[in-house]
Amino acid sequence: MSAWFATTTDVCLIFLFVSAMLCAYRLLIGPGAADRAVALDTLTSVVLGMICLLCIRYASTLYFDAVWILTLVGFLGSTAIAKYLARGRIF
Amino acid sequence: MLLELVVAAAMLVGTFFMVVTGIGLMRFPDVYTRMHASGKAGTVGVAMLILAATIHFAPTDPFLSVRGVLAIVFQLFTTPGATYLLAHASYVRSYPLHARTEIDELEQWLPTYPDDEFGHE
Repeated sequence: MSAWFATTTDVCLIFLFVSAMLCAYRLLIGPGAADRAVALDTLTSVVLGMICLLCIRYASTLYFDAVWILTLVGFLGSTAIAKYLARGRIF
Repeated sequence: MLLELVVAAAMLVGTFFMVVTGIGLMRFPDVYTRMHASGKAGTVGVAMLILAATIHFAPTDPFLSVRGVLAIVFQLFTTPGATYLLAHASYVRSYPLHARTEIDELEQWLPTYPDDEFGHE
């Protein structure tokens, strides 16, 4: 791994951290439950990207299984929240 | 060298979409426009970052690339469905549209039943 590539990965990780902090701020102040659910969904996506970049940075494929498991089950939380919001119960 | 250039380009594009999503979540006025911003990170941003890892590990670990393509497909299938369900739920529960909304085509098709229990404004 060349030096400029490692630097690019680090810069991308820093920007992803900034984006995650913005999502967390919306998660704190969001006026309603749906705003918080949207922010949580986005935070899941940003964490997915961070795991991918960390895999590249550490040259390790150890955490990549977490990525595709999270893409499979990551939408279930916001789906459950949406069902609860719409009908007052999940099932 | 060429591989690193392609991976770096994919990483930069994905990070750009993630940062745009964060700014959009901060600055957009109501929940529907925030969902519009959130969709960028959920599809393009994540797909680009997983694609970067997939290309980066393709010469050394081909099976990881298979898992990466699977992850992109799963993400592109699941996230828009969840966003649609959230938008439907928040419209049905009368989450307010922004004051400058020009047209509300859903008004005549979807009955709303507002409920104060969830405490939205």
